[in-house]
Amino acid sequence: MMEYEFDAIVVGSGITGGWAAKELTEAGLKVLMIERGREIVHGDYPREMKAPWELPFRGRGDTQRYKRDHAVQMLNRHFTEWTEDHFVNDRENPYELGADSAFTWFRSYQLGGKSLTWGRQCYRWSDYDFGANARDGMGTDWPIRYADIAPWYDKVERFIGVSGAAEGLAALPDGQFQPPFALNAVEKSVREKVSAQWPDRRLTIGRTANLTQAKEEEGRAPCQSRDICNRGCSFGAYFSTQSSTLPAATKTGRLTVITDAQVEKVDYDPATRRVTGVRWVNTKTRERKSATARIVFLNAGAFNSVHLMINSANEAMPGGLANSSGVLGTHIMDHANTLSAVALMPGFEGRTSFGNRPTGVVIPRFRNLDKADGDGFTRGYSFQGGALQSGWGRGKKQAGIGADFKRDLRGPGAWRMVLVAFAESLPRASNRLTLSKQVDPLGVPQLEIHFAHGAGELAALADAKREAGAMLTAAGGQVLFGMDRPGPGGTAIHEMGGARMGHDPKTSVLNKWSQAHDVANLFVTDGAQMASSACQNPSLTYMALTARAVDHAVGLIKAGAI
Amino acid sequence: MQQLRHKQPTATRREFLAGAAIFALATGLPVPAMAAAPSPRIALLLKTVAQIVIPRSDTPGAGDVGVGAFLSLAFAHGMEGAQGYDLWLDQELNRRAGRDFLALPPAQRVKILGQLDAEAFPAGPPPAVPSPWVAIKALILTGYYTSEAGASKELQYNLIPGRWDADIPLKPGARAYSSDWTAVEFG
Repeated sequence: MMEYEFDAIVVGSGITGGWAAKELTEAGLKVLMIERGREIVHGDYPREMKAPWELPFRGRGDTQRYKRDHAVQMLNRHFTEWTEDHFVNDRENPYELGADSAFTWFRSYQLGGKSLTWGRQCYRWSDYDFGANARDGMGTDWPIRYADIAPWYDKVERFIGVSGAAEGLAALPDGQFQPPFALNAVEKSVREKVSAQWPDRRLTIGRTANLTQAKEEEGRAPCQSRDICNRGCSFGAYFSTQSSTLPAATKTGRLTVITDAQVEKVDYDPATRRVTGVRWVNTKTRERKSATARIVFLNAGAFNSVHLMINSANEAMPGGLANSSGVLGTHIMDHANTLSAVALMPGFEGRTSFGNRPTGVVIPRFRNLDKADGDGFTRGYSFQGGALQSGWGRGKKQAGIGADFKRDLRGPGAWRMVLVAFAESLPRASNRLTLSKQVDPLGVPQLEIHFAHGAGELAALADAKREAGAMLTAAGGQVLFGMDRPGPGGTAIHEMGGARMGHDPKTSVLNKWSQAHDVANLFVTDGAQMASSACQNPSLTYMALTARAVDHAVGLIKAGAI
Repeated sequence: MQQLRHKQPTATRREFLAGAAIFALATGLPVPAMAAAPSPRIALLLKTVAQIVIPRSDTPGAGDVGVGAFLSLAFAHGMEGAQGYDLWLDQELNRRAGRDFLALPPAQRVKILGQLDAEAFPAGPPPAVPSPWVAIKALILTGYYTSEAGASKELQYNLIPGRWDADIPLKPGARAYSSDWTAVEFG
C-alpha cells in the first residue's frame, strides 16, 4: 500500500475549492489545497476603503495599461481601479479562440479565486432544471434530481448566509434564508403590477450571499450596504473563501495551503487505475514539485479543471484523464446574457433610498414550465435588475454647461428600472475546449475555446426583450431601449460544463457523486461537472454538489473502497 | 484574444500638431499617447473649459479642483477613447472663435462652448458618430464628481452607509450620493 503525503489534494481555492477543503478537513482528512495565484489574507484589501480621489485614475483605471495587460478583463464591469488586482493579467494568462468563436473569459487567479469577485446571487435549481435534458433531449440526463441536492442546499445556505424572501415558487425553490433586503418604492410597485397582470410572474428580491444578520461564531459582520463587495470585504459580510470556508478549514489544523502553484498534471497509476497526486510549478521560481494523496478534488474553475484533465493525458488515457467517453471538454455553456429593457419609471419623484443594497431583484423563469410556451426555445430565462435613481453620470449624455447644469446634477435623477436576461445555454458538442498549439509563459499548452450561442438562446432573448418591455410598460414605465442579442460567450461569467455528470460512462465524465467514472478517487466539483446550465446563477449548486461529493468520498474512504 | 489587440501606429509630434489626431478621429485609428506634460497653453485651456462646464457656486468649480490636470492625464492614457482630444479641442475652439479662444472675453467663451455642446447633444437620437466633445465632457464630469470637493461637498459621499433604507422621502434640494456606485455606473 502506498504511503500518501495527504489524504486529499484540492486543486483551487475558490468557491468550490474552499468548500471541498472545509468539508474534507472537518471530516478528519489531512488536506493540501493548491492555488495558482497569490495569497490574499482576509482583511488585506488595500483599496477597499479608498475614495475615488485617492486613486490616480479616480477608480476608472489606466485605460492604456488595461488595454495592454487586461484586454479581456477590462470588459467586465466589475473590473475597476479598485478591483483590478482581483483579476488576471491577460497578457500573462493567454487563451485562444476557435474559428467563429467569441468568448470573454473573466478570471481571478488568487487565493479565494472568484469567491472574492462573484455576484453572490444564490438560487436553487428545481426539477424543471435537473429534468430539462431528459425532457427535450438536448444533452444527457442529469443523474440527480432536486431531492438529491436539497439537503445540501440547506447546509450550504446556512453556513454561507443567504438573505432572501421565501416565495413558494416551483421554479425557484425557497431556501434557508436570512431576512431579505427590502424592495424600493419602484420595485414594490412593479412587483404588484406584474403579479396582477401575470399571476405566474413574481418579482422578488435577489437572494444574495450578503449577511443581513451577523454570524458571530464565524466572526462575520452584517452587510454595511456599501455594495463594493469585489474590492474585498473586511467585514466578512459576503461569502468568500477568505471570510467563510478557509477559516473553518484552517481551524481543524488539518489544512495545508500552497499558493503561486500552477498544477500541471494529475498523476495516474494505470496499475491501480487511481490518481496518486499532482505536480505543479511555482509560478515565481519556476521550481517544480509534487505531492501524493489518496483522493484528488479538482476545483480549479470549470475550464481550468477541464484543461488540467486534458493536460493530464497519459499512456493509458491518451485522450485526457478520465476521458474514456471522449466527451471531456465538450458541451461547455454560459448563459446568454443581455440588457432586455431599461425604462423610465415616473411617479416616484418624491421617494428615494439610503445606502447601497448589495443585490438587485429577480423575476424567476416563467417560460416552458408546465406548458411549452417558448417561441422557438425549449428552456427558460430569468431577469435580474432593479430600480435606481440615476447619478451624476446622466450628465454625460445630456446637453448643458454652466451653473444650471451643475445645479441640475446635484440631486438624484429620474427613477429607472433595468431588466437583464439570463437565458439557459444549451449543451452542444460543438461548444468545446481543446488544446491550442500555443503555449503559455510556463510552456503549458493553452486552452482554445470554441463557443457560439445557438438559435434557442437567441429566441429566448428575443422573447425576453418583448416580455421585459411589456412588464415595465404595464407597470407604468416608458421603455427607453432594450436588446435581444447576447454579449459574447463568457459575458454572464457562468462558464460551465466540459466534464459533465451523467448516468452512462460512455457519454459522461462524472457519475452522480461528481466522481470520475474512470477513476474512483478523482472528483470534479466545480462548474465543469454541469450537464445543463438552467438559467439561475450556478455557484450555490456547485457548492451543494461539492459538499455532497465530499460526504460520498469520505464514506468511500471509511469503507475502504478508495 | 486577437479581437482586443489594438494597433498602435506611430506618428511624429510634428504630424500630430499638423492634425494627425483629427485624422485619427475621422478614421477611428487610435493614436499614441503624448507622454509629455501639456503645454502651459493647453493646461490653461483645459482648466478654463472645465470651469465653464462646472463653474464655482457655493462649492468649487471643476477648474478649481484640478480637473484640467485630470483631463491631461485622461487624454494621455486614452480614457473614454479620448487620446489626443486636447489638440482637437484647442483647434476646434480656435476655429469657432476665429482667433485664440483664450483671448476672448469670458462671456464669448461660454457662448462658443455652449454652441459646441448643443451641437454635440442634439434633440432626438444621438448622432452615429459622436462629437469628440461628448468624451471630453464625460471626462470633465468624471474628474469633478470624483474629486473630493465634487464627490463630498457638491454631492454627498458615504463609504459605509451601515444600513439600507429602501423607501424614504426625498427632501427638496437633497444632494445625491456620489458613493451610489450603481447609480453612477448606469447614469
